Amino acid sequence: MGDKKHFKRVLISAACTLAFAATETTYAANWLMLQGTEDPASASRADVWGYVQVKYEKDYSDANATGGYVPPKLLGPELDSQDGFNIPRATIGVRGTGFPLDSRINYFALLEMGNNGVTYPGGAFAKLLDGSVTLNYIPGARVRAGLFKYPGAEEGLQAIQLFDYINFSEASNALLLERFPNKGFTSCTGVTAPCNAATGNVGPYTEPQLQGGASLNTLYTPVGAFRDVGVQVFDAFDVGNDWEVSYAAMIGNGNGVEFNNSDGEYDKYLYLSGEKKFGGKGPWAEGLKFFAWGQWGTRLLDLTNDSTANAKPYDRNRAGLGVKYLAKPFRATAEYMKADGMIWEGPDKPNFYFTSPANGNGANAKGSGWYVEGGWYIPNTRFELDARFDTLTRNENRNDQYTFDKWTLGVQYHFNPKTRVTLNYEIRNFTCDSGVAPCTNAGATSPNYNLEGVGNKIGVQLTMVY
Amino acid sequence: MLKYFRSIFLVVSSLLLIAAAPSALAEDKSQTEYKYVLHIDDMDPSKQELILNNAQNLLDAYPPGDVEVEIVAYGPGLRLMFAENVNARRIDALSQSGVKFTACGNTLKGMAKLLGEEPKLNPAATVVPGGIVRIGQLVKQGYIYIKP
Repeated sequence: MGDKKHFKRVLISAACTLAFAATETTYAANWLMLQGTEDPASASRADVWGYVQVKYEKDYSDANATGGYVPPKLLGPELDSQDGFNIPRATIGVRGTGFPLDSRINYFALLEMGNNGVTYPGGAFAKLLDGSVTLNYIPGARVRAGLFKYPGAEEGLQAIQLFDYINFSEASNALLLERFPNKGFTSCTGVTAPCNAATGNVGPYTEPQLQGGASLNTLYTPVGAFRDVGVQVFDAFDVGNDWEVSYAAMIGNGNGVEFNNSDGEYDKYLYLSGEKKFGGKGPWAEGLKFFAWGQWGTRLLDLTNDSTANAKPYDRNRAGLGVKYLAKPFRATAEYMKADGMIWEGPDKPNFYFTSPANGNGANAKGSGWYVEGGWYIPNTRFELDARFDTLTRNENRNDQYTFDKWTLGVQYHFNPKTRVTLNYEIRNFTCDSGVAPCTNAGATSPNYNLEGVGNKIGVQLTMVY
Repeated sequence: MLKYFRSIFLVVSSLLLIAAAPSALAEDKSQTEYKYVLHIDDMDPSKQELILNNAQNLLDAYPPGDVEVEIVAYGPGLRLMFAENVNARRIDALSQSGVKFTACGNTLKGMAKLLGEEPKLNPAATVVPGGIVRIGQLVKQGYIYIKP
């Protein structure tokens, strides 16, 4: 009992300390605060901003033995070519305080008009990426409501216009950048067999069925864009000695940038970080940050391709932790993340179809991945050198386990703090490596039939922030 | 007896002289050769930083005690002197270095009407009845007027 009381007292005094400390909080490279709040008594009524990215990419992958190419060998979001120019991002945003005398309310809105996984699937000219209002009334518990980036992995949470590479790590791409199931998957019209009503929620399906039912090419909803629609409670606290502690707790629809909650359940998110601040301001603030996060949700999915709408909820859980260090001229980041359920599947390509029924399917699969990267801002020049190694293990401990390894070597030239060009060369090694069938199958029945031809990729991207 | 009163008179006079010394020093200080009044009246955040930079640069440019700087804020510019302002720490530091911060009372009243309560000001700020009047007074006293 005494211990309980003591614990309560400690909690209360910690809460009070944090609440009072909140008024002294500074605004370092803290994405929760940078994206969710404005500088008190200083922010504009409406600050217009945005960014544009133009890129050229060429994929050097080879066709399979029968001349076919699969998505890792093709450029997104169309997945129908191996080289070309694109404008992946073209945004315009506005943020500030609606009533500048009152710093307790601020807003953030961003519209995406680039050609990417958000706009392409629905054929949208533009898509709202962010639209949120933050209420800063309760010390230590700011409330942000609307559509915005959920608290999670650094690669997803950070401002994309400041991201040091053209493409995400394989783990972030496959486990976190969510692709949503095709709701039209139940149809068996025109399909001879096997529409599996008897076995419940697992195939077997023929590959044409699966591709026709739920391939990435036919997805009609935007990718999740590391965002959700919901409510977040968060804040950051100066705890002394230049250390800042931040937290966030959120619930959301779990449907990315779409506004419906089709499964009737809410995703839950938790985030905690501690950062030793070295100096600087805004997104370029220097420091050493440790962070951990988790998210828990369900997705409604129909795996029984049997002409009957019998969707079931499947768990989709994610967790991760990492560290980021920035003290110019050096930068280093490392993140680890793991996933349980609703993993974007495919035997040999990152499509969202569920196959290899003998081994289970992506709805029940597990995966994990990590990356480590570093940057060197060459002193007295405008050049920056970057290097990243990332790896993803998908379908862990299953017969169809895959490993996706990638090295990304990069050079950036900063014309000014808001305009830069990025050159990336990706060295990719994707393989089905369980050591048993189907990985060891010969010919076209092996996933490696397609993966062996995955080659390197080069990209050049111009980024301008305004 | 007279001697006794004369001694008391001398002691009291000395004490008065000592007491008067600081104000005499202050008057001397007001005779500083370089005096600047910096004026802010809009809500542009970059102007807030700029005016604080101006004040710091002036302090740095002259030997200690050779320059007086007073920042006068009115209208939307008064946000600079709100207690919660993101630059509050810089304001405190400048204040300790001798920069004066003057807030317009008329603006404060207007803001109180809009907000339903009077905004809390930085303790470094001194409220005067009218910011514009204060600027006029300072210019008349020989202050150099700057509006960044």
